[in-house]
Parts: sequence; C-alpha cells; structure tokens
Amino acid sequence: MSFREYDKKTFLVDAANDFTARRISKRSFLKKSALAGVGFSAFNLGLLGNTRRYRDSYNLIGTPAWAEETGDPEVNKWLKDVGSKFKGTKIRYTSEATPPTVVLDKLKGEFTALTGIEVEIEIVPLEQVLAKATQDVQGQLGSYDLYYLDQSWVATFAQDTVDPIANYKDKPDLAMPGMDWEDFSKPLVEGLAMYDGHWAGIPFDIPIMTTMWRQDIFDKLKLTPPNTPEEFMTCAKAIYEAEKGNGMFGTGLQAKSGHYSLECDWTQVVWNSGGSIFTKHKKFSGNDEAGIKGLQYYQELLKISPPESTNSTWDGQWQMGASGQIALVNSWDEFFPGWDAADSKVKGLWMAKRPVRGAAYRSVADAGFGEIPNAGHQGGSILGLSKYSKNLDAAWIFMQWACSKDIMTRCTLGGGFAPMRLSSFADPRVKAKEVVGPGTTRHLPIVKEIIDNDMASEPDMPLWAGFSNNEIPVNLGKLLTGQDYGGDAKKCMDDIAGQINKAVADAGL
Amino acid sequence: MGKTVTLAIANDDMHQPIWWRRILSSEHPLPWLLPASALMVVFGMYPLIAAIWSSLHRKNAATRREVFDPAYNWIKIFHEPRMWDALLHTLMYTGIAIVFQLVLGMLIALLLDSDRKGYGVMRAMMTLPLVIPPAVTAMMFLLMLNGSFGVIAKGLMALGLLPPGYTILGNYSTAMAGVLLAEIWQWTPFMVLIMLAGLRSLPKEPFEAAAIDGATPVQAFFKLTLPMMSKVIAIAVLIRGVDLLRAFDYIKVMTDSGPGTATETLTSYAGRIYFGNADFPLASTVALLTLFLVIVTSTVFMRIFKVKL
Repeated sequence: MSFREYDKKTFLVDAANDFTARRISKRSFLKKSALAGVGFSAFNLGLLGNTRRYRDSYNLIGTPAWAEETGDPEVNKWLKDVGSKFKGTKIRYTSEATPPTVVLDKLKGEFTALTGIEVEIEIVPLEQVLAKATQDVQGQLGSYDLYYLDQSWVATFAQDTVDPIANYKDKPDLAMPGMDWEDFSKPLVEGLAMYDGHWAGIPFDIPIMTTMWRQDIFDKLKLTPPNTPEEFMTCAKAIYEAEKGNGMFGTGLQAKSGHYSLECDWTQVVWNSGGSIFTKHKKFSGNDEAGIKGLQYYQELLKISPPESTNSTWDGQWQMGASGQIALVNSWDEFFPGWDAADSKVKGLWMAKRPVRGAAYRSVADAGFGEIPNAGHQGGSILGLSKYSKNLDAAWIFMQWACSKDIMTRCTLGGGFAPMRLSSFADPRVKAKEVVGPGTTRHLPIVKEIIDNDMASEPDMPLWAGFSNNEIPVNLGKLLTGQDYGGDAKKCMDDIAGQINKAVADAGL
Repeated sequence: MGKTVTLAIANDDMHQPIWWRRILSSEHPLPWLLPASALMVVFGMYPLIAAIWSSLHRKNAATRREVFDPAYNWIKIFHEPRMWDALLHTLMYTGIAIVFQLVLGMLIALLLDSDRKGYGVMRAMMTLPLVIPPAVTAMMFLLMLNGSFGVIAKGLMALGLLPPGYTILGNYSTAMAGVLLAEIWQWTPFMVLIMLAGLRSLPKEPFEAAAIDGATPVQAFFKLTLPMMSKVIAIAVLIRGVDLLRAFDYIKVMTDSGPGTATETLTSYAGRIYFGNADFPLASTVALLTLFLVIVTSTVFMRIFKVKL
C-alpha cells in the first residue's frame, strides 16, 4: 500500500487522534505511522523545508491526460530547427515547487527530445531559491540560466534579467512562432512582470487571494458567504461558536512568524482597511490609522484560528482546510485542486468567490513604489532569463517553449492552477475540467475575475525582498506570539516603520 | 649537436639534484605539509580573510555597490538590539544544552558502566541518535511537537501540562525549550560515550580503598569519580560548547529563528541577514562576531580548567 503525499498528514492526524482517544492501541498507532512512512516523510521534509506541498499537484492527481499529448506541431518543428545548434547544451533553472514548475519538470523531456538541450530544474524551498539567485547575481556567476522570481523580488532582480520582449525582437532567428505576447493577461504583465517600463521576465504563476468557504458548513449554519471583511469576521465568529466543539475554528491563518506568508496576510488586511505599505512620499505607512486598523483586525482573527496558525505557512493553512479544521478562509486559490483531489475528505465541499472587499482602497497614486492596493493579493512569479547565463540562447529557446500557449495550457491541465494566458482560460480542455475532481479548474472563472478586477501587488523596490522576508514578518511574529509590544499593534508598526524608513533612506531611494 | 647538449644537462642533473627534487625527497617536510596547508588556505584562511574583508565594506542594498567603510558594520551591529538578543539566546542555548547533556550524559554513563551481559549492546545503541542527520532529527521533533497530532505535545496535553491545541514551537515562551529538546536528545549520547570512556579508564584501587573505609556510592562519586573525571568533563564541555555556540540546523528547521526572534541565535541571525536581506558585509560581521565569541570562551575555559589539547 502506498500513500499519496497529500494524504499522509491527514492519515497521521486521524491515527494520532484515535490513539489519544484510546480508540486504537499503541501497537496499531505505531503500525499506522510506519505505514505512512513517518521517517521518510520527515527526511523528505527536512530536505525540502517549507515547500508549497499543496501545490505539488502532480502528486495529487496521478497521471493526467496532458502527459499523453504531443505539443504544437509548428512549435515542435521550430524546436527541431533552432534547437539542433545547441545540442548537448545543459541549462539550469532553480525554482520553488510551484505547480507550473512541477509539471514542467515532467514535460521537459519533450523539449530535450526535440532539441537535444538538457534541462536541469532544481526544486528547492522558496528561501533557498532567493539565496541561490542572490549569490548568482552578486557574483554574476551565470550558474543558473533561468531564475524563478517571486513577485516580491522582481524589482531586486530586474537589473539581472534579459527583457524577453526586446530579446524576441533582437533575435528573430530564435523567435518562436506563435508566441503571441498579447495573449498574456494584461493585469499580470503590469502587476507582475513589468518593472521600470520593461519586462523582467514572463509571468509564470499566479496564486491570488480568494475567499473560500465550505458550502456544507455554511448551509448547516445558514450563513451567506461574506463580501466584506466585517462580514467575514461575523461568519468566522459564528462558525467558531457553533463548531468549536467539533474541533473547527473560525478561519485559518498563514501567520508563521518570520515567514513571507505572514507578510502576505498582513498586506491584505492593511489594504482591506484602506491602507498601504508605503505612502507616495516613500514612507512606510503600516503604522497609520488604516494600517493599525488592519493589523488589529488580523489579531482578532487569530483568536478564532487554530493555535497552529502562528507556526503555519500556506502549506499549514491548506492542511487546515483539508483536515476539516476550518470552513472559511481568505487565501490562495491554488488550494482548490488539492482539496478536490480524488481521496480528499473535503472533496467538492469548498467553494470560491471574489475576495472580501474593504470599504475603500488607497489609490495607486497615493501609495509608494508602484504598490497596488486592492482586495486580491497576488503571489505570482515570473520566469527570468539571466543576463549572466553562459547558454543564453539555449535558455531563451527553453523559456519561450515553457511559456508557449500549448505548454502553459498543459501545465494548467496538469495542476489545476490559474494560467497566465487568456487562451488557456478559454481552452476547451481547461473548460472541460471545471468539475469537482482531481486537477479541477472549477475555480478558474472566479480567478480570472479576480485577476481582472481585484488584483493587488506589493511594492516594486529593490529592498522589498529583504523587508518582506525579514523586518516585517519577524516583528509581526513578535507581536502575534506575545514576545514583544504587549499586544500593541501601533507599537509594533512604529518599530517596523523606524527600521524600514531608515533602510530606505540609507539606500538613497 | 642538440643531442650532446641534452646529455650534458642530464648528466649534470644526476650529480647535482635540482631544488624541486630535493624538496620532494622524503627527508624534506614540505611535501608532507603541502596538501594539508593547501586545504587550510583554501577552506580555512581564504574564507576567513574574505569574511574579514567583506565586513569592512558597506553595502547599498538598492545599487548592490559595496564601498570600503571599515567601521560601519561593526558600529551598526553593536547598536542593533536584535544582535544582543541573538547573543543572549546563543549563550542561553549553549548553557542549557551543556548542563542537560552533561548531567544526563554522566547519569546514563554511570548506569551503563557495567560488564554484565547486554550492557555492551546498550552502549552501542547509544550511538544511534548520533548517526541521524540533525536536520532529520529536527523534522522528527517538529512533527512530535505539533499541537494537533504530535506525540510529545499530545502527551503533555493528556497530562494536563499544556492546554489543548497548544503549539510548543509557535509560542514565545516554549519555543526554545522545544528546540533544545531535539538538541539534547541527539547529543546526550555523545556525552555518554565520552563519560563512559573516562569512567572505564579510572583506576579501581581508590574505589576499593574508599569502600573498605565505608564510603557510600554517592560519597565515592563526589569525592573520587568527579575529581578524577574533571579533565574528561572539561574536554567534553569544550567540544560540545564550540558546537553549540554555532547552533543553526535545529533552529532553522524547527522555528526558523521564531516565533519573532525567540530562538534567533547569532548564526541564524547572520543567515537571515545573508539570505533574506542579501547584506553580505553585515552577515560576515555577525559571523566573525560568532567566531570571536567561540575563540574567547574556549580560551577562557581552557585557562580556567587547565585543558591542554
């Protein structure tokens, strides 16, 4: 018997609960634990750290139909023609375990078969991707030909990547037919890939904040899905009061102290309260009235969330939804396919809608560093071509192939996550999967609406990778876990403001 | 003509060995020192000099330019409250772990110091935790301390020592204890092995004389065993202390320095500056500070306890 990665944790939870409730013997518990491969899981987790396991969709859905497809014949012919010059070249790319990367890792053999170009994809935790990319660009080493760049790092690395639009024009002999740049969702290009008027890379992944709820619980409690943060709080409290005896909480948070996931949650509540991270004068504004209101709202939510929230990233938050601990959450749309997996205990129960909207949002003009306050925090990424690559042309061919219509659509079919291309949203194969089941795409129409209407983006500034991974989540963690500030949101935000404003001034921004 | 010249050189060479042949002869120390010296230069001296050089620069995070400003990072780091917290956590982590590992190590060693049947196997089994990579141990404890299903957390809840759903690693007041649990579990056997080696090498005569004089086992332990084991204990503490001052793996995997900065030590702080903020000069400064701390504490310790390595 084998267990899919997804089910291991819930299996263990059930076994542990049965054991503590004395429903099974110690011997049975140990047997079940061994069966689930605790040791191996621990080793695996130890190696991978905080990967987005829920996003490892390939493991969730087995062998999907996309694997049997053969690609666009015109693109395949082009790959054979241009790729043959680079036969034997090896290109390297490092990424987090995002759904497109995981699926691409399975599809790359097709590319190698047509071109003879070897592709090595290193899949590591998010913080390691940042560390590797940072070291590579600092020394201009060219160890990696392509970078996975999270949206919060784009400004930091924009100077180290080749503008794909310019490259496409400059190298017509290497330009892939039918690339159709207009097919990329415009809000994604503007909010994700563009920096300082240029494309830093090609949009590659777009998890976005969505309001999700369990229909069965809402029916049972006669609740209506929330439209505003206030309604969200009311629903969450109602669920908590009614279901806490059944081990259910009002909502779940990704509030791991010092982790970027906490920063994402915080940003959203600040925006929903009418605030922003920076003012137009480039001063940190998380400590203004709106910012404090947002943080206090988050502190309230934490009280009715699973205690494990302060130690959970997006992975733990997804697990809360999968194990039945929560029935309402405002978080990443990419949770959906995992919750609908064949052997999920919450299969078909979760619904999605556009995220809760605050009364008013600060305008882009009043925010700083290109920040876009809105209801749908995007956590997307781009694929960037390294300026320092020693195999620039071979990597460029691969990049175009990876971001082509056919491959991007097949990646969506493989993982059930939101595509970057408009044509993928409309693809009949994607439409056909808008049903409950493995690799579902039933949430994608909502996701497209969110991208078009609600998409929000964090500031574009070179220091943001550091602030969003260190100063902000570390100090928020001190507040939320009671290490410092005595629960005073203003004190915490003033402290963060002091650190960030000084660093911005020191950098001469 | 050419052949004649070549032969002349060869003959001359045979009578007067050239310098590199002399050096390569077995009597000269250089060939034997060279590989180790080269390794030390490449993996020891170069990184150290690079770190020192880096720490003397100020980095602009926006432009990535580094300018020579020797005092900047050193002044900055001493004015940084987070560094002082990290220093305090480092010393706390080291002190608590050493005390627990030493006391438990000595107790277990005393229990296992026997020639009776089966004790040899038990002594061999003590080495098992040591062969597990620390990152794996950390992950095992991360699961066991999980508030929802972790066996340790659930056990403590069942005993009424923790409220239901309590997250040991997610709580400021207990996170350090959770990390220390993994550290102590894995490295106590190391202390046991050293103590056992020491105990088994003690002469029997003083103990026999003490027994004839009516000394109790407790008296014999404090009056004989401990004094005679002092050097062994000092060396064990020194080895573990140096390791503990550089603690990183358990903290990285289990808490990533959190919650807040509750488990942030000097090395994990340096890591966060390096990988999070990409401020290599400042991270080098913190790393050098850690090195300085290790050198000073171990030197003082060796002086006090008269340890000679």
